[in-house]
Amino acid sequence: MSNPLSDMELPNVMFCIGTNMTECHPVAATRLKKAKAKGAKLIVADPRRIRLAEHADLYLPLRVGSDVALLLAMAHVIVREGLVDGEFVATRTRDYEAFRDHVAEFTPEWASAICQVPAKDIALAARWFGEAAPGAIYYTLGITEHISGVDNVQSLSNLALMTGNLGKVGGGINPMRGQNNIQGAGDCGAIPSGFPGFQACDDPANVAKFSKAYGREIDCEKGITKVTALDLAGDKIHAMLIDGENTVVSDPDKGHCEKALRSLEHLVLIDIFETDTAKFADVVLPATAWAETDGVVTNTERRPQRLRAAVPAPGEARPDWWILAELAKRLEMPGFDYSGPDEIFNELCSLSPIYAGLDWDLVGTGAYQWPVPEKGHPGTPRLHETEFPNGRGIFKKILYRDPAEVVDDEYPIWLTTGRRLQTYHTNTQTGRSEGIDYFVPHEVLEVHPEDLTAWGLADGQLAFLESRRGGIEIRVEAHPRSPRGTVFSSFSFAATPINDLTGSGYDPVTQTAELKVCPVKIRPVAENEPVPSS
Amino acid sequence: MSRLDDNDLLERFRKLPAPLLPLLHAFHERDGLVSEEALEALSEGLHIPRAELYGTLTFYHHLSRIPGGQAAPRVCTGPICRYKGGPEILEALRKDGATPMPCAGRCDEPVPVLFGNEVRVGSSVPELLSRPSPLPVPNPGAVEECVFAEIREPDRASLVGYERTGGYEALRRCTAGLRPSELIDLVAESGLAGRGGAGFPTARKWSAVAEATGGPKTIVANADEGEPGCFKDRVLMDHDPHALIEGMCLAAHATGASRGFIYLRYEYPETLAILEKALDEARAAGHLGDRIHGSGFSFEIHLRRGAGAYICGEETSLLNSLEGKHPFPRNRPPFPVTHGYEGTPTAVNNVETLCSVAPIVRKGVEWYQSLGLAENAGTKLISLSGDIQRPGNYEVPLGLPLQTLLADWAGGPPEGRRIQAVTMAGLSGGFLAGADLDVDLDEPGIRSKGSFLGAGGIMVFDDSRDMVQVAHGAMEFFAEESCGKCFPCRIGTRRLAERLAQSHGPRDLATWQQEARELSVVMRATSACGLGQAAPLVVESLMKYFPEELEQSLVSGWSGGNDER
Amino acid sequence: MSDRQAGAGQATLVIDGAEVAFEPGESLFEVSARVGKRLPSLCYDERLEAFGACRLCVVEVEGIRNPVASCTTLAADGMVVTTSSAEVEAWRKTLVEMVASENREVEVDPLRGHASQELSRLVARYDAVPGRFAGEPSGKSREDDGNPFLLRDYDLCISCYRCVRVCAEQQGDHAIGIANRGFETRITTEFDGELRDSACVFCGQCVQTCPTGALADRKAMRGVDVPGEIEKTRTICPYCGVGCSVDLMTKGDKLVGVQPAMDGPANKGALCVKGQFAFDFVQHEDRLAHPMVRNDDGELVRASWDEALDRAAKGFRGVVERHGRHAVYGVASGRAPHEAAYLMQKWIRTGFGTNFIDNCSRA
Repeated sequence: MSNPLSDMELPNVMFCIGTNMTECHPVAATRLKKAKAKGAKLIVADPRRIRLAEHADLYLPLRVGSDVALLLAMAHVIVREGLVDGEFVATRTRDYEAFRDHVAEFTPEWASAICQVPAKDIALAARWFGEAAPGAIYYTLGITEHISGVDNVQSLSNLALMTGNLGKVGGGINPMRGQNNIQGAGDCGAIPSGFPGFQACDDPANVAKFSKAYGREIDCEKGITKVTALDLAGDKIHAMLIDGENTVVSDPDKGHCEKALRSLEHLVLIDIFETDTAKFADVVLPATAWAETDGVVTNTERRPQRLRAAVPAPGEARPDWWILAELAKRLEMPGFDYSGPDEIFNELCSLSPIYAGLDWDLVGTGAYQWPVPEKGHPGTPRLHETEFPNGRGIFKKILYRDPAEVVDDEYPIWLTTGRRLQTYHTNTQTGRSEGIDYFVPHEVLEVHPEDLTAWGLADGQLAFLESRRGGIEIRVEAHPRSPRGTVFSSFSFAATPINDLTGSGYDPVTQTAELKVCPVKIRPVAENEPVPSS
Repeated sequence: MSRLDDNDLLERFRKLPAPLLPLLHAFHERDGLVSEEALEALSEGLHIPRAELYGTLTFYHHLSRIPGGQAAPRVCTGPICRYKGGPEILEALRKDGATPMPCAGRCDEPVPVLFGNEVRVGSSVPELLSRPSPLPVPNPGAVEECVFAEIREPDRASLVGYERTGGYEALRRCTAGLRPSELIDLVAESGLAGRGGAGFPTARKWSAVAEATGGPKTIVANADEGEPGCFKDRVLMDHDPHALIEGMCLAAHATGASRGFIYLRYEYPETLAILEKALDEARAAGHLGDRIHGSGFSFEIHLRRGAGAYICGEETSLLNSLEGKHPFPRNRPPFPVTHGYEGTPTAVNNVETLCSVAPIVRKGVEWYQSLGLAENAGTKLISLSGDIQRPGNYEVPLGLPLQTLLADWAGGPPEGRRIQAVTMAGLSGGFLAGADLDVDLDEPGIRSKGSFLGAGGIMVFDDSRDMVQVAHGAMEFFAEESCGKCFPCRIGTRRLAERLAQSHGPRDLATWQQEARELSVVMRATSACGLGQAAPLVVESLMKYFPEELEQSLVSGWSGGNDER
Repeated sequence: MSDRQAGAGQATLVIDGAEVAFEPGESLFEVSARVGKRLPSLCYDERLEAFGACRLCVVEVEGIRNPVASCTTLAADGMVVTTSSAEVEAWRKTLVEMVASENREVEVDPLRGHASQELSRLVARYDAVPGRFAGEPSGKSREDDGNPFLLRDYDLCISCYRCVRVCAEQQGDHAIGIANRGFETRITTEFDGELRDSACVFCGQCVQTCPTGALADRKAMRGVDVPGEIEKTRTICPYCGVGCSVDLMTKGDKLVGVQPAMDGPANKGALCVKGQFAFDFVQHEDRLAHPMVRNDDGELVRASWDEALDRAAKGFRGVVERHGRHAVYGVASGRAPHEAAYLMQKWIRTGFGTNFIDNCSRA
């Protein structure tokens, strides 16, 4: 997030797109509700009539995967109606003129045909956001899990730049992070493009710095993403070490993923449960869990905070860091003699400019948001207050593209996936917590009540849902929050592996899978009918 | 007329100010109850969360949630009616689904029974009959009156009758050039103070609203006459509705308000119809609405019907009720004069206060001041009921001795009886008895006896009445009507009622009195509004005047446990 | 906020004889707390609008006839305030006894909720006798509500409405309301049903603000009979990326519950259903307690750490020998802490000299 969570109570217009915040980030959503209670306007763009939409002053039920069209048209209206923040554009950005000319053709009427949202509502959303002071953008995986994920984010960036809503209290462009330390994994350099602190790993100076620090010559080129690595499994990639991820349930195109893992010569997992992915592992190493582990995690507003152990781990489970260090020592890697997590974190701080002012003790207060460039620095609640990392904010010319697969006669229904409030991710944790099944005993496919009738289905009936990649049996549930022609399921139940179906395409830049769009077909299944294996 | 569906009803009211109460009544009358489906429609249509709306609905006494509940009889079992046949009528009508209701403001001719939107009165079921509320009897003291001066004139309730006796002349003076500040000065000089009980100087309230920033400003006529033993506002509105309308217009002129509400208690359905008609007449004649009398002054009045809650007579509860919120009193400050209806500057005035303004404008400040005795300015309406020969409404000069009213004006107690005690301020002022009956009817005089005049309800109990039982009935009323927000009132009223009924608590007088005093002191000192502050007076005055009766009752045990709750 | 000396020109009031400066908008309750005199209250939660219901925090202000609730009264220049005269303290004791009289019991297990000890502490502070002013109890427990998380033990309810207000003001869901009035007041849902059929999302905030334990954490209460004292450990919720601060409640080695940290920078006392109630996976019997290696029959079997680590190391060494260093890939967890992610990338970069490292953020 460019802005702190506390800023979420301050905007006078909030634009939420592709974020089911009341279910996926419920505590953050309480702040939006407070802002709304104080009089802020809420615009929600989401294919599903999610609970946030019930709170909205303006709800844009756009077709899955049509975000770029909507955002282009909003930019068009903001230009047309003279709502551009001229001073901000002049002093803080570049390439505006080209962008302005680019959006001239993308009228709300044009977008309406793609998004299936009334043109007047698109124009109204643009007007409200254009007049906002301040206006804030919030998004989650509904924006990024598309083949156009980067385009979607760039389009939002354009919107924030043209309205001057960056670097301002209560404004900003704010992705909501979905896992407790997904931000931190990036901060720590667990990415193929950067060392700790997002220092580019194809920059010779950085490579030299880390080669020296780690006592080993490191390639001066970016690595490959996990998606590519799985594609290359058995071909170029032959061994993997995976920490705490139930890959075969969470990743798209389950069949492909299983095949990849099976083709590895060596797979080592570190986890707290024997997950479905363990089927493919040669070695499974038991880690300590949350509540048993001391460490640091960074939240969505770039705030590193301390985890503290409260109970002992079961049996012989050990902290991840201990396991990794031991494994390193057995491979004769230098520099893995640590006495504890504090020493590791302090090493990270010494190598990462965004953590340079932090250490294990300071982070215990939870009072800092990175970057903290030197000791004594108070941290940075808001990014871009005076300048952007590249100096000026750059407008990008984005074009709308259809999703990788679109509905057709054979697969006429849009499937979109996500999380539910009570079940988290692949349910390895929530599924083992008593009481959660009171709310969500099993997976269901949410279908608009009229679609149920149209498709010959009864509420609660079992159905067979199929995409070009696979099919599963799933119980349908009449749900008015699904729009006509679009169905929803979470990916929380291994018994209903919706990711057998997904995986139609990937963003060309980030290789994030298009988990939010997957054309499918559906048919009723008699309760005892054998289901074809996928 | 065909049955209106939910959307028709919502469309009719949604855009109007203060739409929740009229919508609740519309559904209540259409369906005979407020159903879950109706609440769901209202929740969606008015954007009020369901849980909140459901809770608010259950706060009100009269909105039924059972089929046929709207039309089912409600029988008054108030402090007077319980001795005048109320309980017997209730029992007889139980087969028709009858339920008890607290004092319904007809103490001068008990017992009122509400059948849907019709009040019938009588002392037994066969006698129940619908009839207009009684006019005040001709002033037996031959003292000059203010608000009652013309009320007995023929056709006074109609526009024609009202205008024939000076009606709307005061408003015409305003629209012809009397400036708001001049009007406020005039009212200030008259010494007019709030007649609903608080006694706050009317002009000060108005000038605070006039000076407050923000708008539109609002005038609210508090016609939620819920205090047991009070029925003065009803007679004013039934027989002189234009006086209220003109008074509100004058208040609006003084303060710069453009919108007004009359918040009328549920138990006065006939009054609702009378006011509706009068408002229509006033609008048609140009006394109300846009550009009144062709001047630049515009003012509109919206009539809103309460739903049965004593606390809604408290001005901030009333405002919350109007706004469709849970009718708890608000914390003050801020006061309604700056943050009233929907946060706008608002003057909430009692009906009697508003009706006093036009005569003051017409007849002059000196005239008004001269109506009171000694230091007192003006008059006060007294609703007199109970064990008295001639119950009814009396307009008395402030400072009139109570005994003069009781004996000379109202004929004293029934033949062969002695007045044992009277209540003050309806029930809120507790009792006066013994030597303290020799008191003048003005606020300083009555306060010197530990009570207060308040809204002017005086209920008389002769020597045949069990004062412990009377006190218990009073405390049950406060306990049931306590809104439940502040602890001392919510718990204290219940504990005192239980102790008066002797269902709980000590049985020896000393301990009983110790507990009761402790509860009373805390309630009086710390309750958030007048209800909890005043409720203990009943017990305190019982201990003061009737310690022997109390001890006797503690020794022999309670025998009056047939109270309706 | 720190205590300040009264500076020239700044508004001040006198509180129990001491002159104190204040900020516009500060209530007397806040000013008093700031100078170290936290007044008693049962309806106060600093995150909520002051409500003025319990009246325990009343203070005397010169020139005002009745005492005022300090929580709803704003400080004003020149006010002279007495917070704790003997008379006011006596009222407070009576009020506490009145409140205690409406409940089945006063002493409740602290596992019920974060604020559950407030009433019992006040009873102790004022040496109040709960049996005084005995009478009908006010609440009515909803034993029929079978939800697994929130116990609705309204026999202990004192109608402070903190639950209703936290649901409306903090959580923004308005799932619960106030039915009836006076002593008959009940905390209710729409149509008086079960929480599951209401707008409730089981965030647990009502539980944590309840000052009597009437709303209680059913999951934590399973730990009532676990021997040992409750200890609290501050950490961060393991679920989404908001990073809510929580206090883990343990008895001995047993994790018995979670409470939100009222001063958590990201959450200020808020949690969601997962963070509040889905903690017991940690000590679930399915937890991996020993290293496992795949045997010649293709089964994962228990192994010692030495065996497992050697086997793991050997596998990587072999792959490098056969296919080169670019054949090894590491995936860090978005759920494990920094030290895990940092060492994972260091392991790849130091061990193999590549940038073949990623994390699970793409799923």
